Amino acid sequence: MNEFLISPFSAITHPTTVQTSLYAYGSFAKFDPSGRYIGVGRFDGVASIWDLETRAAIRFLDGHVKTVTSLDWSRNSRYVLTSSKDWNVIVWDLAALWDPPQRYATIRCDAPVSSASFHPRNSQIVLALLSTGEVYLIDLRKTYRSRVELVEPDDGDEEGGRRSAMTVARFDPSGKHVFIGTHSGSILVFSTRTKAMVARHRIAGGAGSLKGFDFAKSGRRLVTNSSDRTLRQFIVPQYPHPDPDGSFLETELEPTHRFSDPINKTAWHTMSYSPDGEWLAGGAADPATHKIYIWDISNDGQFASTLDGGREPLAYLHWHPSKSSIASTTKQGNVLIWHSPNPERWGAFAGGFEEVDENVEYEEKEDEFDIEDEEETLKRKMKAEEEEVDIDTVIEETSRPQNLIVSNGDDEDLAWADEDPDEDAAGWTMKIIMDDEEM
Amino acid sequence: MPAPPPPQPTREGPHYRLQHTLTGHTKSISAVKFSPDGTLLASCGAENIVKIWSPFTGELVRNLTGHTDGLSDVAWSLDSVYLASASDDKSVRIWEVDTGVTQKTLKGHSKWVFCLNYNHNSSLLVSGGCDGDIRIWDTRKGKCLKTLHAHIDYVTAVHFNRDSSLIVSCSLDGQISLPIQLRLTTIFRQIWNTATGQCLKTIVEGHEAICQHVQFSPNSKYILSTAHDSAIRLWDYQTTRCLKTYVGHTNKKYCICACFSVTGGKWIVAGSEDHKVWIWDLQSREVVQTLEGHTDVVVAVATHPSQNMIASGSIDSDLNIRIWVDDQAERR
Repeated sequence: MNEFLISPFSAITHPTTVQTSLYAYGSFAKFDPSGRYIGVGRFDGVASIWDLETRAAIRFLDGHVKTVTSLDWSRNSRYVLTSSKDWNVIVWDLAALWDPPQRYATIRCDAPVSSASFHPRNSQIVLALLSTGEVYLIDLRKTYRSRVELVEPDDGDEEGGRRSAMTVARFDPSGKHVFIGTHSGSILVFSTRTKAMVARHRIAGGAGSLKGFDFAKSGRRLVTNSSDRTLRQFIVPQYPHPDPDGSFLETELEPTHRFSDPINKTAWHTMSYSPDGEWLAGGAADPATHKIYIWDISNDGQFASTLDGGREPLAYLHWHPSKSSIASTTKQGNVLIWHSPNPERWGAFAGGFEEVDENVEYEEKEDEFDIEDEEETLKRKMKAEEEEVDIDTVIEETSRPQNLIVSNGDDEDLAWADEDPDEDAAGWTMKIIMDDEEM
Repeated sequence: MPAPPPPQPTREGPHYRLQHTLTGHTKSISAVKFSPDGTLLASCGAENIVKIWSPFTGELVRNLTGHTDGLSDVAWSLDSVYLASASDDKSVRIWEVDTGVTQKTLKGHSKWVFCLNYNHNSSLLVSGGCDGDIRIWDTRKGKCLKTLHAHIDYVTAVHFNRDSSLIVSCSLDGQISLPIQLRLTTIFRQIWNTATGQCLKTIVEGHEAICQHVQFSPNSKYILSTAHDSAIRLWDYQTTRCLKTYVGHTNKKYCICACFSVTGGKWIVAGSEDHKVWIWDLQSREVVQTLEGHTDVVVAVATHPSQNMIASGSIDSDLNIRIWVDDQAERR
């Protein structure tokens, strides 16, 4: 709403300076879908939830005994999932009135968990990647309660059926498919509902082991990070319905863009699209500096800028869900919040004034100094006030962008995911728990 | 000229009648506020006590004591558990209403605190003081997060919009001949490390009117202001256009509050210096009812969040709070 007051035509741009830093002692930090909170995973097994309005930690999710490896938010930020090297995935319910909040579920795995995430439509479906290179889809719903390993089907020609370890696993934004990257550099696509593989892609020219995925919100574009120190953007193909015979699409994907650092050849820790998908931020894995590279996707992927965050090397970054803001985490555990500052407009302090960059020749309007009948003026004013106003209809703003496709019942995959929904209702608010320390 | 809008079914006027008279205040009343869950009414005045009433029975439920000087405003948290009060002792207190215990005392204003409000999820509190400063507080810790040197005179009203991205404030800056001053201020998200919040807009109407109360409409699209030219105005703050003017009452001297009523018909309710409570139709701007009963200036009014109920408070010679209800609307 206030974006409009500041400059009515501004689209999202990339941030330029550090606004604030949070001493969070974390290994990564991730915005919630509303952008009001930030979840920080820590080395000591605790995850903390920070309120960006008050810049204070408001909840401590204390349940793991080893490093938190990933954190995910449900659509309306009520549930938070944490995964850890202690072999557990914990789902927390932030609607609880106490701190630490209630555990909604604990999922015990067979190995340290490298990452885990919620299904975008239903937080009772969880995807977990284990450090042993296996991926599981865990369904906590009563009717579907299951734990299924997503397995790449055997090929006759591969020696001994030895499969390549899975190194990254993500839902696409619709939740219909699970994208898995492997050590050998191929991308496997599974149907979330049937758990069958629908496609296997080789990356044209080879890329080495895959390290990370990020989707643009529309789900049409995917960027990958791999061990050859290059980020690649792909157009996500349309997938057919899973074939009951177990056959699948086998294609080679040609990247639309390759992003790399031509001079230092640095590797990348993470990358993140801007909310509109027009920018891409890459976090450089430089051991001595904190550098974020920004590419302008709408301008044919041209390199736009480097953000320098000082001495503490970068470990992770995440773009705000709706604003020109990035949270980058340093190796020392601090979280830097980047923003793009608006210049102060002094004209705003005086009503009816406007600031102009250059002198403007004033042109008197035809009727400007006409003496008008007072009665006439009043009548005109009264007429103008006849217009109906609407004071209480709330139009939900873009502060919580819902890019979910509305399920209309035709789509089997979406209908399946919407069955037995979670209690993550829109519009709930996190209760304030008073700090008793000092009075 | 577009086609006329379809006739509104609830265009019949309100029929408010006096239900309860709450007696207990010993000095002028400054504010009355219903709790968001509708079960309680909080009131405060020039004595050092906040009073909590049951609006349905008219009984006094509890006194909140602790302030050492008179009070100017109170505000409820979203969950109706906490109440914040603004006092002339330069502090803001946050009370747990059920127990009557002070949870936090917010100190920092250099002069009397005149007005305050919570944000949408009650994590922040904004207060305005007679030093012209607006302060933003972290309610959980009771710490001041930011001070905006927003005005040069009494800040008489501050209010957050729905998503807490804006604060609207107004002040008696009349002496520098900027009559109506509504300031919209963004907080934090863009401007954390700047010394002050950014002022986005100042709304001024060209005549000699000092604005003394202001608030966002329930959907935060408009601003309702009351001014000392005996007029209440509804503004579109994006275009700085005055959409509606409500007149008829008297308001030349006191800080009189106006509010929206959306439970039955859509009304604007305000106090007046002619000892009445005035009710206008939101759209047509016609006076639809005046409530007579108070014997002195009515400065405080509040509307119930879910029922057709109005509370009004008065000063000096009439120290009563009156509760008015319109039960005909339900019978119809």
